[in-house]
Amino acid sequence: MRKFLTAAMLVLSSMAAQAQLSEVPPEEIDNSVRLSGDTLRVCFDRTSVIRAFDGDVANAIGEALFLTVEVQEGFGGFPLNGAGLLTEVTLAMTNSCDLFMGVSVSPNAPVSEAFTLTRPYATIPFVTVVANKDWQKLGDIPKTDRIGTAMASMGEMNYITWARQRPKPETWVRLPYADFDLMTRRVLDGTISGMILWQPALSKILKDREDAKDLRVVANDPIPPSETHVGAVVTTRNSFLRSEVDKAIDALVADGTIEKLIEKHGYQGRAGD
Amino acid sequence: MKFSIKSLLAATTVLVAVSSPLYAQDAKREYTPVTDEMHANPPAEDWLSFRGAYNNQGFSKLDLINKDTVGKLQLAWAWPMAEAGIQETAPLVHDGVMFLQTNNNIVEALDAKTGDRLWTYRHELAQLPASWSYQLNQARRQKNSIALYQDKVVLTTADAKIVVLNAADGKVVWEKQVLDYNLGYSYTVGPIVVDNKIISAISGCSIAGTAGGCYILAHDFETGEELWRFNTIDDPDNEEQQKSWGDVPPENRWGGTPWTTGAYDPETRTTVWGIGMPGPYSELIRGSGDGNVLYTNSTLALDIDTGKLKWYYQHLPRDNWDLDSPFERMIVEQDGKKMVVTVPGKNGIAFGLDFDTGKYLWHKETVYQNVVSKIDPDGTVHINEDLVPQAVGEEHLVCTSVSGGKLWQAGAYSPLTQAYYVPLTEACNTVAPTQTEFTAGNAVGATKFGPRVLPEGQTMAGLVQAIQVGATEGTTKWDYRSRPAPTSSVLATAGGLVFGGDAAREIKAWDQETGEVVWSQRLNAPIGGYPSTYAIDGEQYLVVPTGYSNSASSISSAFPEIPLPTGSGNSIFVFKLPKQ
Repeated sequence: MRKFLTAAMLVLSSMAAQAQLSEVPPEEIDNSVRLSGDTLRVCFDRTSVIRAFDGDVANAIGEALFLTVEVQEGFGGFPLNGAGLLTEVTLAMTNSCDLFMGVSVSPNAPVSEAFTLTRPYATIPFVTVVANKDWQKLGDIPKTDRIGTAMASMGEMNYITWARQRPKPETWVRLPYADFDLMTRRVLDGTISGMILWQPALSKILKDREDAKDLRVVANDPIPPSETHVGAVVTTRNSFLRSEVDKAIDALVADGTIEKLIEKHGYQGRAGD
Repeated sequence: MKFSIKSLLAATTVLVAVSSPLYAQDAKREYTPVTDEMHANPPAEDWLSFRGAYNNQGFSKLDLINKDTVGKLQLAWAWPMAEAGIQETAPLVHDGVMFLQTNNNIVEALDAKTGDRLWTYRHELAQLPASWSYQLNQARRQKNSIALYQDKVVLTTADAKIVVLNAADGKVVWEKQVLDYNLGYSYTVGPIVVDNKIISAISGCSIAGTAGGCYILAHDFETGEELWRFNTIDDPDNEEQQKSWGDVPPENRWGGTPWTTGAYDPETRTTVWGIGMPGPYSELIRGSGDGNVLYTNSTLALDIDTGKLKWYYQHLPRDNWDLDSPFERMIVEQDGKKMVVTVPGKNGIAFGLDFDTGKYLWHKETVYQNVVSKIDPDGTVHINEDLVPQAVGEEHLVCTSVSGGKLWQAGAYSPLTQAYYVPLTEACNTVAPTQTEFTAGNAVGATKFGPRVLPEGQTMAGLVQAIQVGATEGTTKWDYRSRPAPTSSVLATAGGLVFGGDAAREIKAWDQETGEVVWSQRLNAPIGGYPSTYAIDGEQYLVVPTGYSNSASSISSAFPEIPLPTGSGNSIFVFKLPKQ
């Protein structure tokens, strides 16, 4: 592990974000100054499929910065329409977190100006999964069949964008799923013939479900590949922390640490962006 | 004996948990059981339910406070709410006791004459872990209704329970876990109780785990046994409903939340409820094509004995903009004919429906909107298809905004004037379907909304409109426009007044006939919740909730000259006339 900072006594007095929220009574906001000493308070979405991976990366970042990582379990469980999400992100970042791991780094990332995304520490693809042994790619599925997509995911957006450019008979009927176990069950029982989901979600399904052994990843053709860049959120006001975390990520990508963690968790993809 | 601070704190916590509710201080207080008949035709001195009576009209027969006397109103007492939160409370009053519900399902009983607390019930809400953030978010709202029935108080909770309390002392009689909050179900509105049936409606129907089921339910008032449930997004008895979702099977459907308490007609044993938007918001994402996605954005009439659908009417088919239509349905009778009168949805369009059949009678636009292009004489609603996104990321300026137009703030109907008084906001926002992963791989949000802005050429965000209600048409009786947006529900009284308030902290009284402001009083925070009125010992009281307002905050950039408080200030203020 490359340790590039001599910041053992780094005091992360990360100020409260003081973001103005239209949905939060002011009493909910903790505007006190956190005196974290050499502690890095790291939050996670405990419902995230890559929670364990994110934890390992956070520990590596903490080690690189000579900081003690203190885990603050974050949140999750939001409605599909995202109602309340920004409120809770802001509350968590203001009241509890120096760093929020496992965030999708994309132009659509729903963070306010009070928060900033770090650079990605991993990039992981969406995959097409089928049960039929005769199919080698998505394009082998008859167009009269149905497929499933992970609701509101980058993989789904990729499919919709592709499908909207073609006549309906040249596309599949697509059903959105928010429950990947259910989507898996529907692939296995033939209700849908394939599914497009994030590879770590498939990795978890393969670990958790005995009956998932018949599932196979096939090529995405004819749709183009899609992937999610994974990074973290910091408060915009704490530009020093953001800069140091970015440097740490660069170092962890360069020395192969992230790549090893990707392998450890059985993910496809690559370190960095 | 020595206590460590830690053990003292622990002991205090336990004590609070077991000692609330507090016992009534006045053991001699007379409390008459609340009956169906009283809910149908409430005593003038009481305010028994969310909108005063089963018909949801929001009208009081009290007239001591009127155009001639309202200027003499004085503060009788005030009370801080039990917790911070978003102020949507609906104070109820019966036999001189006021029942207040605050966020996190706290109920307080107060002496309505003096403001002294009689008891407090603090629901032992499941300790919602941070991973159920939506429920935490919802629990922060001051819930808008509880129900009084017999000698009990009925509340619905953020952890999807029905809890029945003794009205006398706040003790729990029974509680029932109705649906699994681990899946995302959560109550955000209170029930009505009719003929010993608690009729409630669940929320949380846009959370992944609740796919395929969003319900209006009936439970036995005595035992909590479930009697029936009606699924607002999956009706196996109606082929048209199933077809309206296109290729999407029930397990891939979301939305249809009935998040405003319904009305009830004892004569026909029919309850009417409004239903919210489909999920995901955009048809591009939800895969329903150009289907109408029934029964979203509809009025449903249900038989209270069977839970079967009597009729439905869809106010906004094929919603792509989160302009949901769950708001108050009022039952209005004119010349022996009953109607459902409502501004059901965020787009602010008023409707009159035949109560017996659901047949469309009339509609009337209020604030500027651009999503409905036409409504046929038979009531078929046509949307503006130019605003339906054809690609991910395609953005349109949509009026009204996701915050309304109309929102939860209920209008009121006055039988004196046969007019419906509605609080509204002029607002638009951009809408674009997006794929929005916050936590990588965990998608939460398929539509991006821009900030709320005024429609072009409009400088006044607020509108209170009086709609003259007829059998065949609704017409404008008067408009009251203001820079700040209205932030409370309104109350109509037999004193010829309409009460309501705004983001500028002003509670106002309008002349029902003319719209003239005949009284106003500035308070500590935006006016919120549901103003109501009651009488004790021959004196009429006016109760006004104030506090933190989402509605004020979301459109506050439209009236920057009116700063919002930096504190919440959630309170109720009670006014009355001076003694003669």
